[in-house]
Amino acid sequence: MIGPRLGSRIAGMGLGAVWAFKLRSFFVVLGVAFGIASLTLIVTAVDGANRKAVEIVEMFGPNAALVFGGNFMKRAVGMRTLTLSREDARRVKDSLPGAYQVLPMRAKRGQTVKAGNRNYQDVLIVGATENYGEAWNWPLAEGRDISEEDEKLGAKVALLGDTPSQELFGEESPVGKVIYITNIPFQVIGKLSYRGFSGGGGNMDNRIIVPLSTLLQRYNLDRKYFRALRVKFHEPDYMDAHTENLRSLLRHLHHLQPEQDDDFTILTADEVLKFIAMFKGGLTIFLGVTATIALLVGGFVLANLFSISVSERAEEIGLKKAMGAHNSAIMLQFIVEACALTLLGGVLGLFLGLGLGQFLSRLDIMVIQFSWKAFFMALAGSQVVGIIFGLKPAKQAADLDPIQALRGEG
Amino acid sequence: MSIPAIHLSGIIKTFFQSGDKKNGGDVPGIEVLKGITLDIYQGEFIALQGTSGSGKSTLLHLIGLLDRPTEGVYELLGQNTANLDDDRQSDLRNLSLGFVFQSFYLIPYATALENVILPGLYSGKSRSELKVRAESLLEQVGLSDRMDFKPSRLSGGQQQRVAMARAMLNEPRIILADEPTGQLDSSTSSEIIKLFHAVHEAGQTIVLVTHDQDVAREADRVIKLHDGRIVEDERRSKAKPPEADQ
Repeated sequence: MIGPRLGSRIAGMGLGAVWAFKLRSFFVVLGVAFGIASLTLIVTAVDGANRKAVEIVEMFGPNAALVFGGNFMKRAVGMRTLTLSREDARRVKDSLPGAYQVLPMRAKRGQTVKAGNRNYQDVLIVGATENYGEAWNWPLAEGRDISEEDEKLGAKVALLGDTPSQELFGEESPVGKVIYITNIPFQVIGKLSYRGFSGGGGNMDNRIIVPLSTLLQRYNLDRKYFRALRVKFHEPDYMDAHTENLRSLLRHLHHLQPEQDDDFTILTADEVLKFIAMFKGGLTIFLGVTATIALLVGGFVLANLFSISVSERAEEIGLKKAMGAHNSAIMLQFIVEACALTLLGGVLGLFLGLGLGQFLSRLDIMVIQFSWKAFFMALAGSQVVGIIFGLKPAKQAADLDPIQALRGEG
Repeated sequence: MSIPAIHLSGIIKTFFQSGDKKNGGDVPGIEVLKGITLDIYQGEFIALQGTSGSGKSTLLHLIGLLDRPTEGVYELLGQNTANLDDDRQSDLRNLSLGFVFQSFYLIPYATALENVILPGLYSGKSRSELKVRAESLLEQVGLSDRMDFKPSRLSGGQQQRVAMARAMLNEPRIILADEPTGQLDSSTSSEIIKLFHAVHEAGQTIVLVTHDQDVAREADRVIKLHDGRIVEDERRSKAKPPEADQ
C-alpha cells in the first residue's frame, strides 16, 4: 500500500514531470481549459437564467398580463405598433371578466431631469394611469402613487424610481420637491422602492412615472394610442382562460377577421418563462455540445500525449522500477501528472468561462454569476477527464517490463 | 560457510516471444540459460563474462529480480524469490540491490542530488536523512561541487559516478552492474573501477557484467558463460597479479 509520505513523494515526482514537459503540459491544459470554460458558461448561464426567471415571475406577477401593440412574433415590415387605444383600455376594464386592474402605459426614453443644480440624463419617463405600483407589484418606498385625480387633471406630479431619486437627491427624501423633466416642472409625490433588477432591459430603477394624460399632453404624443397595457386578474389559476378572453376581446375591438393575425402581443409570466426556457435549452444544448467536444478533445490530447510520453520516458519508468518503485507508484505518478494538468486546465477554464460570461453579461446577452457550483463542477469535471484519460497511459506505464523499458522500448 | 547471498540452482530461462527479447535471439521458445547453478557469498566481487548472447545479461537481470526464471530455484538473501509477489520483489530491489547500468539512466530533468535520492524516495526514509546521505555519497564519488547539476551538464564519467552514488543510497547488500564502463574511456573507467573497489572493501557484494578484460581482472572471482552455461568459475585472491588471464 502507498502511505501518505510515499504518496506525496510520488505526487511530487508527477508535478516535477509536469514542469519538465512544459509544451506537452501546455496543450493538455489548453484542451481541458476550453472544455471547462464551456462547462462553466453552461452552469453559470443556466443558473443566471433560472434566477432571472424567478425574478421575472416575481416582478411580473403570476396574475398579470402585459399587452403590447404590434405583433412580436410576426413583425411585418411597417406594421403599426400603436394599435392599443384608450377605448380598448376602457372596454377591457369594463367588460373583461376577472380583470380588476387595467393600466395603460406609454414611455419616452432618454429624457433629462433636473432638480436644483443637479442634472441627470437618460431617464425613462413612463406615462401611466393610477396605481402604477400596485399594477406592477412594486411597493412604494415613500409618498403616494399616481391617483385617478392626477390622471384626470393631467397633474404635473411624478413618482421617482430609485436611480433618479439617488442621482438628484442623494439620501434625502424627494417627496414634495420639484424636478424638471425637459424643462417642465413636476412635483414629486412618491418614490418607488429599489428593485435592483437588471440585465436584458437595463436598469429597472432608472425611471420616472407621471400620469399618462400629462405625458401625452406635455410632450405632444398621439393621444389616442398608448404602447402597453397592463392587466391584472383575480384567480391566477385561470390565467390561460383570462389570456384567451383578453385576446378575443382585443381582436373583436380591432375588427380582426379570423384569417388576420393579432395586431398585439400578450405576455404573461408563463410566456416569459417559456421564452427563458427556450433560451436556456438552446444555450444548454449549444454549450453542452461544445463542452463535451472540447473535453473529449482535451482528454484525447491528454491520452495521446501521455501515451507518447510513456514511450519517451520508458527509461525513466524502467529505472524507477529497478530502483524498487511498485507498479502502483508508477501508476500514481502518471495519474497525478494527468490530474495536475487537467486541474490546471480546469482552473484556467473556470476563469476563462467566467470572463467570457462577464463579457456576455455586459452585452446583456445573458446573466452570469460566479457560483460555487460552477467552481466545483469545473474542478470535478477536469479531474474526471484527468483520471479517465490518464488511466490508460498510466496503466501502460505501470505494466512496462522493466528490462524492455530500460532499453527504451515503451 | 554461511548461507550464500545469492543461490541459484538449475536456473533455466526460456524466451517464448520472438522479436522483442533480443537477448536470446528471435526464435520463439529459445533457451537462453540452460541450467545455471551458482552460489555467491556476501562480500564477493564477481565479474560475469561471456560473448554476446551467452546469457550473462539475462542472468544479471534474473539476479536483479527484473525478470523471473522459467525453471529453477533462486534464493536471494535466504528468501526463495519464487514466493515473492511483484511488490515484495520491488521492495527487495529497493533495499537490498543496487543497480549500475551501462548508459547511466539518470533522470534528465532532475539534479544529480535528486537522482541520487530517487531510490530512497520509495523506501520511506525521511527526506532530510536522505539528503544528508546523498550529499555524503556524492562527496565520496568526488562530485560535491556538482550536486545541483542536471545530467546534461555532467560528463559520462561524472554521470556514472552519480549512478554509483544512487546505487549505494539505500546501503544495499548487493550491487549489480551491467557493463558500467562500456561507454567510458579507459582513464574514466579506472576511476569507476576504483569506486567499485571502495564499495567492495566496505563489504558489499558486487556482480559485474563486463567484457573488458581490464575490468574483469579487478574482480576476485570471474565466471564465464557460454551459450547459457557456466564454462569457467575462477576464484582469485585480489593480490594475485593479472597474468592468469589471457
